[in-house]
Amino acid sequence: MNWFKGFAKTAIAAAVVSGTAYAQDIKIGYNADMSGSGVAELGISGRWGFEAAIEDINKAGGILGRKVVGVIRDDLGTPPKSIQNMTELIDNEKVSAVVGPANSGNALAWLHLPQQKKIPVVVPIATGSEITTRYANDAQNYLFRISMVDREQSALLAAYAVKHSAGKKIAVLADSTGYGQGGTKDATAILELHGVKPVAVEKFGPKDTDITSQLSKIKAAGADTVIVYGLADGTAQVLRSMEKINYLPTTLGAWGNLSSLFPKMTGAKLSEHLIMAASTTEDTNAKTKALGERVRKNFPTLTTFPCAAQSYDSVMLIAAAMKQANSTDGAKVAAALENLQGVEGVIKTYNKPFTKTMHEGLNVNDFYLARWKGDTVVKFEDSVTKGFQPADFKK
Amino acid sequence: MAVSILQAMFSGLALGSIYALVALGFNITHNTTKTFNFGQGEFLVAGAFIAVSTLLLLAGHDFKGTLQQAEVTLARYGLSLIATVVIMGLLGVVVYYAAIRPFIGQPGLAWVMSTIGFGIIIQNIALAIWGPSPMVMPSPLGSEVLRIGGAGVLPQEILVLCVSIALMLCLDVVMRRTRLGKAVRAVAQSSTAATLMGINVTAIVVLAFVVSASLAGIAGLLIAPITTASVFMGLTLALKAFSSAIVGGLSNPRGCMLGGFLLGLIEAMVGLWHAELREISIFLLIIFVLVLKPEGLLGQRVVEKV
Repeated sequence: MNWFKGFAKTAIAAAVVSGTAYAQDIKIGYNADMSGSGVAELGISGRWGFEAAIEDINKAGGILGRKVVGVIRDDLGTPPKSIQNMTELIDNEKVSAVVGPANSGNALAWLHLPQQKKIPVVVPIATGSEITTRYANDAQNYLFRISMVDREQSALLAAYAVKHSAGKKIAVLADSTGYGQGGTKDATAILELHGVKPVAVEKFGPKDTDITSQLSKIKAAGADTVIVYGLADGTAQVLRSMEKINYLPTTLGAWGNLSSLFPKMTGAKLSEHLIMAASTTEDTNAKTKALGERVRKNFPTLTTFPCAAQSYDSVMLIAAAMKQANSTDGAKVAAALENLQGVEGVIKTYNKPFTKTMHEGLNVNDFYLARWKGDTVVKFEDSVTKGFQPADFKK
Repeated sequence: MAVSILQAMFSGLALGSIYALVALGFNITHNTTKTFNFGQGEFLVAGAFIAVSTLLLLAGHDFKGTLQQAEVTLARYGLSLIATVVIMGLLGVVVYYAAIRPFIGQPGLAWVMSTIGFGIIIQNIALAIWGPSPMVMPSPLGSEVLRIGGAGVLPQEILVLCVSIALMLCLDVVMRRTRLGKAVRAVAQSSTAATLMGINVTAIVVLAFVVSASLAGIAGLLIAPITTASVFMGLTLALKAFSSAIVGGLSNPRGCMLGGFLLGLIEAMVGLWHAELREISIFLLIIFVLVLKPEGLLGQRVVEKV
């Protein structure tokens, strides 16, 4: 049995050595849906943005002289799996920070875990407002976000609608889910700030295939601009119905329409008709173009580029905060996140992106309008968008 | 306004014909066994996915890939129809032997639970194979909107309407004019008497389930280019189809067809007025029909002699 003891000793020694070696590394977790639900496309895109950021950080010498390692977990779009991943990342993998998730529902299911265990989380995709506000009154809120919050998107869409519509004839058409009705509420409230009352507010079932009757009413009300709140498939049906009744007003939508399902359902020509909110597009600048090319190597069918860019920037902000705090301790990093200056990201250079009370790193001033062109999304510009002033964005 | 009404009529008829097809599936098995497959909606889902995957394989793609418009020709659509009918027919046999036969003649509603369960199994298998995101199936007739009297119609909607009416007419003729139809009606009347007359009752009953499952599969294949194939689309469609059968008369195939078209039209017309009132008006109608004519608009009152 001596050989066995010897073997065991070496094995243990090796484990200890490698263990300490690993302890040198800084681990950052990524937890999002990459296969399960309809948002998987967003999660996959985010994953490659996340990995690109880590690669860049390591190339530049890591954080505090230590190598950064990404720990990737797929939550399959289900809350239980997402909770399990989160526990595993924090307790077993001992990550110093987490980037994720894609589904707002999953985030809401595990917010308490990082909050209790003092692990900073930057949400790169999920847009539900409550994610960053639930613990806003705690001594330290560990939840941050670099993504497109629903209400901020509405602020952009409403601002465009008001400036674009000649007779201020704007209609709101939303699906009957919580998401759609929340959107209607936001849009009506924001339009009211502009002093505009929608000429029609209609709803449709998320699985409806024919929305011609609602659109006929919107047409009869004289609307020349329609704001649509629906997921990619619902919005695609809206456009198909518009084509049917030969009524194609200016149509605005949220970033969910970045899903490749949208142009597949509408066809290339009709897909170009929708103008949607996006945080960035691949054609914004040289950095976004380069990141898009890198992500495409691993994910050739990429259409959800903003998620890659937002994940990339999330990691960059975490890295900058760790450097500034000179530590990977969660509490210190979270405090540093609230006090960052001049962090270079892909979407923009972040000057004080977060404060004690404000954990949304992006807001309406950072957003663009975009639209489909073939199988990619490009920036949309016209005389209205060029004339936007910060004061135009009421929210 | 006239154009809007015409528009609503077209979409109502297209959707109504899908309800009618699935409702017929309820009718056939109800007449022969007094049971039906509560998993019809999931069978429709299975049909849609089998059709999409057949089209993908015919176009030389992976069965989970993406179809281009040009890759869906009428010939391929026809082949995928055959594949769907064959596979769904087999599933019909399985559902009969696994979920209906063990419970026939037993008191209680065990078959309700077993067919719902079978449907859930099918749905989850589909979820495991194809995943939760919807799959797009281009129409073999293209997506160029046709203008009829000012209203816009998709070619697929016309195809759905024509194919389902043709299928219904065929079934109607078979049921009323052929020996096979006579046998089915005999089994419906009394299976004991039918056995005594030398009719192979088991064969007729299995056939009924094969036809019922195939109808659901065809409905899936027809509707997929309009809705996309989604694992979750079955329940609503099946519920509306069941409502159609109840309104028109579960025991009468013509009643089921009438019910389907009626519901489709009501949905579209009420939607023209107030979209939120669609479901309310349909289920109010069902309650009225059940109170005033419980056997359905065209159903026959069954007087059971004790």
